[in-house]
Amino acid sequence: MPEFRTLHAGDAVHGLFSPSEVEELMRVEFARAERHKYPVVCMALGVDRLAQLADLYGYESKEEVLRAVVSVLRAETRDSDFLCLRQDDRLVALFPHTAPEFGAFLAKKLLAAIKKQRFERDGRQLRVTLSIGVAHNRHEKAISFETLVRVAEEGFAVADQGGGDRLVETELYQLFEKKRRQEELAKERKELFDGILAAIPRTPAPAAAAPGGDKLGETLLEILKSLGLSVSSFEDLDKDAIATAISRMADAKASAKAGEVDEAKRTIDMLERRIGKLTHALGVTEEELQRIAAMKNVELGEASIYRTVQGLSDDARDKERKREMMKDIFHANFELKKRLSGHADVPKGA
Amino acid sequence: MAETQSRKDHGVLYLGIDLGTSRTSVAASNGVRATVLSYVGYPKDVVSKKLLQKDVLFGEEALEKRLALRLYRPLAQGVIQGDGKDAENLKAAQDLIGEILRRAKPRADELVYAVIGAPAQASIQNKQAILEAARKSVDSVMLCSEPFSVAYGQDMLDDVLVIDIGAGTTDLCRMHGTMPEESDQITNTCAGDFVDEELAKEIKKVAPEAQFTKEMVKALKEKHSAVMERMEPVIVHLPVHGKPTAIDLTEGMRAACKRIIPPIVEGLTRLIATFDPEFQERLKNRVLLAGGGSQIKGLDVAIEAAMKERLGGGKVMRVEEPVYGGANGALKIAHDMPAEYWEKLK
Ligand SMILES: Nc1ncnc2c1ncn2[C@@H]1O[C@H](COP(=O)(O)OP(=O)(O)OP(=O)(O)O)[C@@H](O)[C@H]1O
Ligand SMILES: [Mg+2]
Repeated sequence: MPEFRTLHAGDAVHGLFSPSEVEELMRVEFARAERHKYPVVCMALGVDRLAQLADLYGYESKEEVLRAVVSVLRAETRDSDFLCLRQDDRLVALFPHTAPEFGAFLAKKLLAAIKKQRFERDGRQLRVTLSIGVAHNRHEKAISFETLVRVAEEGFAVADQGGGDRLVETELYQLFEKKRRQEELAKERKELFDGILAAIPRTPAPAAAAPGGDKLGETLLEILKSLGLSVSSFEDLDKDAIATAISRMADAKASAKAGEVDEAKRTIDMLERRIGKLTHALGVTEEELQRIAAMKNVELGEASIYRTVQGLSDDARDKERKREMMKDIFHANFELKKRLSGHADVPKGA
Repeated sequence: MAETQSRKDHGVLYLGIDLGTSRTSVAASNGVRATVLSYVGYPKDVVSKKLLQKDVLFGEEALEKRLALRLYRPLAQGVIQGDGKDAENLKAAQDLIGEILRRAKPRADELVYAVIGAPAQASIQNKQAILEAARKSVDSVMLCSEPFSVAYGQDMLDDVLVIDIGAGTTDLCRMHGTMPEESDQITNTCAGDFVDEELAKEIKKVAPEAQFTKEMVKALKEKHSAVMERMEPVIVHLPVHGKPTAIDLTEGMRAACKRIIPPIVEGLTRLIATFDPEFQERLKNRVLLAGGGSQIKGLDVAIEAAMKERLGGGKVMRVEEPVYGGANGALKIAHDMPAEYWEKLK
């Protein structure tokens, strides 16, 4: 999800919270509505042709228009409604205790209110209109704030592409919720489960043990919990996954020869560093925790698309050449680091 | 193969970062891509801090509120100014890298391995300053030459001539191997900012009374820039005595944009002529055009035409994504870098 930003410093003075606070408040409000079963309406709004406006009249007038639009929207809504201007110049609004049927009515009212305004620049009349996507939490699949916003955004996109100055309601809750849940869970589960798998069978015998062999398992369970997965024990993980795990553990044990100990140590070392990082992050502040929660919003669907766009898919072409090049770069950096800290030899055989 | 690959990726977020004078971009292995104007600002005094409610601002926001800020452009000339001696400027660079990292959205438990494309002409001290600035926010970091990362991103591993048109400078670089030498590079200052200045002059020529700001000129350029003989007419509205007035900038736009071509071709000619004669012909046909300023319409064809005149021929290719060309390439390097190398540099 794009970042939220402050419209102007006066926001605080006018009784507005900072945008990230508003977003957090909307999240909380959404959760409250779910708990107490009251309706909320969510809207994604944007000023039509804002980019062209900025091109024609400069960045300042874009900001001016946005500011004016925000104050009209504020005037037309209740104090208890939430309005937030995002980094990408779009607005998100949440209306508590508002029935789905009322959503479209409200959006129409906002469209009309904006159209009534007179915007002027350099003596010329500007035509400022909005596109609005409307969503609500009464659909059975509208069970997360993210989904609500995404559905509203989808509506916005349709409204915007349709020429603007209109509102659009879509019913894509099922789709977005499914995507969100599946991808999020599947990825988190897989990654952490892989981590457990990779760590446990390769832990060398206790005598030579890397510190924290057993603790590792516990900590990983903690991580699972902290990520919101209700896992109280390994049994909660898929049966199939466990079966695979056991067979892979057996395989790994069988083949854990001397040469592999290094690899195992490295894996453990890495996991420990990751856990260290996470523990540190968790310990730091409440704010940090919220950041972690927000991070679940990364669009995983996009990631896989970008992987091919970015050319990261496996590709054996020119492998040797590339490896040589990587080695060159590494050596140059190693030299640089040596000069910086004035220590260590160039590694042999790297 | 897929197995080892996924193990290698597991728990690591790779980043490719392009540190620019005007813009810093990141491409991350989780699919996130972000770009931020290379400005960092700190509230001037207690009052500003209270109003802004932040300790540090970045990019457009910093620029917009500059009156209340101590504003830094930590990478002017593409390298950390003051060579890291200026403490606050180094802090600004650190904060900028920290911000770009946040925008890449790493998970809390992920190790972050970053490759940073540094300008080919960066001095050792500059490089160390960049490393120092980055070390605070990533788990392991490497620098590579920016033109190399651009070429690598395009899978152009053989000799190639990279033209990177940025805001402050146009950098020409002959790549053979991973590290260009002094003699492989030519830098001139006819780049984006220069076109803006030239365009402002052109506007003054046709409409001496027009009022405009630097930002407006830049926006006009980014929208209409072109060098073709037959280009779409550029009619813009600028205030004259307070009234928006239509101005025909077609000729002016073309003229301003075209002025960056001669120094480029001059540089190309020098780099090609001093190359191993056996490979000159091949190099001529492998010119790669990158950087935000390369988005001028028709520029590739115009450079080819000029090369034909000076050098009897040549082929110019564009990077499809000028804004992310450097970052994408750096990400690819980060990804292709063996794990043990990363670990040795942690
Ligand atoms: N469509 C466009 N047409 C022409 N120029 C453009 C266009 N879009 C962006 N630019 C220009 O590209 C320049 C920025 O390029 P880029 O982002 O590659 O610079 P940078 O890497 O930050 O700078 P440098 O390489 O000098 O350090 C700016 O001058 C900008 O105005
Ligand atoms: Mg650049």
